[in-house]
Amino acid sequence: MLKIENLHATVDGKEILKGLDLEVPAGEVHAVMGPNGSGKSTLAYVLAGRPGYAVTAGRISFQGHDLLALAPEERARAGVFLGFQYPVEIPGVNNVYLLKAAINAARKQRGEPEVDAFEFLTLVREKMRLMRMDESMLSRGVNEGFSGGEKKRNEILQMLVLEPRLAVLDETDSGLDIDALKIVAHGVNTLRAPERSLVLVTHYQRLLEHIVPDRVHVLVNGRIVRSGDRTLALELERRGYDWLISEAA
Amino acid sequence: MSPAVTEQIRKEYGAVHAALPASVIDPGRRDEAIEKLCAQGLPATREENWRYTNLRVLEHARFAPVETHGPAMPSLPQVPPGFVRYVFVDGLLRSGAPASGPDLTVRSLRSSGPSSSDAWLPCPDFPEARLALLNEAFATDALSIEVRANAAPAGIELIFVATAGAQAGASYPRVRVALEAGAELTVLERHVGAPEAASLVNSAVRVDVGENARLTHYRLQQCAARAAWFDTLTAQLSAHARYHLLAVGTGALTARSTAHVRLAGAGAELALSAAALADHQQSHDMYALSEHVAPNTRTIETFRGIASGRARVAFNGKIVVRERACGTDSRQSLRGLLDGPQAEIDVRPQLEIYTDEVRCSHGATAGKLDENMLFYLLSRGIAPQTAHHLLKWAFLEDVVAKIERTELRRQIERDLAEQMSGAAALMELL
Ligand SMILES: Nc1ncnc2c1ncn2[C@@H]1O[C@H](COP(=O)(O)OP(=O)(O)O)[C@@H](O)[C@H]1O
Ligand SMILES: [Mg+2]
Repeated sequence: MLKIENLHATVDGKEILKGLDLEVPAGEVHAVMGPNGSGKSTLAYVLAGRPGYAVTAGRISFQGHDLLALAPEERARAGVFLGFQYPVEIPGVNNVYLLKAAINAARKQRGEPEVDAFEFLTLVREKMRLMRMDESMLSRGVNEGFSGGEKKRNEILQMLVLEPRLAVLDETDSGLDIDALKIVAHGVNTLRAPERSLVLVTHYQRLLEHIVPDRVHVLVNGRIVRSGDRTLALELERRGYDWLISEAA
Repeated sequence: MSPAVTEQIRKEYGAVHAALPASVIDPGRRDEAIEKLCAQGLPATREENWRYTNLRVLEHARFAPVETHGPAMPSLPQVPPGFVRYVFVDGLLRSGAPASGPDLTVRSLRSSGPSSSDAWLPCPDFPEARLALLNEAFATDALSIEVRANAAPAGIELIFVATAGAQAGASYPRVRVALEAGAELTVLERHVGAPEAASLVNSAVRVDVGENARLTHYRLQQCAARAAWFDTLTAQLSAHARYHLLAVGTGALTARSTAHVRLAGAGAELALSAAALADHQQSHDMYALSEHVAPNTRTIETFRGIASGRARVAFNGKIVVRERACGTDSRQSLRGLLDGPQAEIDVRPQLEIYTDEVRCSHGATAGKLDENMLFYLLSRGIAPQTAHHLLKWAFLEDVVAKIERTELRRQIERDLAEQMSGAAALMELL
């Protein structure tokens, strides 16, 4: 599904990713953990194609295609979804407009007709129930006036509606209380499927109690310095990151 | 503005004044207006409050009123529900029956003559109102709308169509709206034009809102692409009057709107919301003066302007708080969006306060589209152009969402989407 080789990326001329390798097979959930500032969000943005995040070396292949050759919107239509660490508020752009436009963009890409209005609303309502979101949120501006937790749930709602091939969730767990965390985790788990891959970027192992990963990777200073199964997350919880940082240095 | 232009105005006035209808404006007052205008001179770009206006069109203009209409009439939009329509072509009332019920009178002064209650004087000491003098000298018709005390809410739509090119003369829309105490009215004023006509339009509107009366006034400037539109609005608000002035400008090559609202009675409220969408070589300029004369008066001012291409958009919102106007509350939120490296935006809040105990706040920003928002939309698969349109759209929503009549709001939203070239994808979303 996703194969990253020797990825180097700079932001504002500063190298943040320094030869990162990562492979996520179809159907698997991988966690990327690491201390603050290690480059986790940078990796997520590079995957989504954010302007200003320059790839200076390396390759990313997605379903056998060169992901870096695609514009951000093309990546999304091809099935890459980024759940933002800090979802932006867009007052005046309705949540429904956004969902509909996003769905139709992906459908158009696949040569399918636009979504039927009734079918669309039914789908959105069902997913909203799953995320325990109030329907009144639909008519509001994107994330406008949402609490931190509501924004994160809205990210997951969008993911559920769009059904991506590869979802990269950047610290979707941060700022959530335990109930919200469970709701979000449940939403994510419903999407686990053999033809889909998930990358969970997180700082804590708390989320991984609810979404059990197949692999855990540790990102330190722009590189994956260790990979393992879920017990690695528990070890990190116990020992912190310092031992890996000094090992990497 | 050179003396040659005022000479030209005087000369043209001399040639036509005998034929101008006395029932619309008394000949003596027309003469006075010309004298005053020539004494003061036309506005010039070197003046602070006119520096963003494209005044060059006035240098080669014909000022006498249009005599021959242009060959084409544009198709008119549907009458929104709840409105009675009056159509003016090149300044003359073409259709719309006079009304003279117990609650409401609507009359063309050209056909019915003035009544004693018609008061057209612009607010005193308002040098920016000079173009209204030009209107006063040359106007060929005027519509008077009077609403009696405590009248039930009504809706009136005025469409001013310019069909003639500037070489055929100018048109002078002229309206007076007066609400007695406790009355309620919605006025929808549209300015449109035949697509090819490079018309010169110079309108004057006078508004009086009586005690506890409530006027909602929508103004849509959708003139043809080559037209020049000038406009002067003066309004006077009595105690606890509420005036919602909502202007959306998308048309004309050159548009300048001047508004002076006097909050003359205690507790009067003005909500001024304006949106401008300009592209190519368009220049849109609005000067709004809100003069707080009485205590506990309030202005809420919102401006959203977008300049694309080589367009220029300016909004100058001035709040003056006079000595007696303690307890004034004014809020200005003025924002400009630069959509292209060659576009220009100037948003300027100004405050002049002559008393204590006031609450005046303002925010003014001009900048580009937010990169974070843009990327968020792209990351959801939305095409860059659609994302741009969507964000521009959202930006104007701060003003457009204030339109309370749903059908009208939809119409305006569609117009705006159309104006943003290639916004077909956006239309589908609406
Ligand atoms: N726009 C930016 N300009 C300059 N440096 C940045 C920018 N964004 C992030 N960085 C830097 O890149 C490094 C990695 O940041 P980030 O990817 O956000 O880390 P993480 O998500 O792991 O906390 C940090 O040192 C951060 O300060
Ligand atoms: Mg981060």
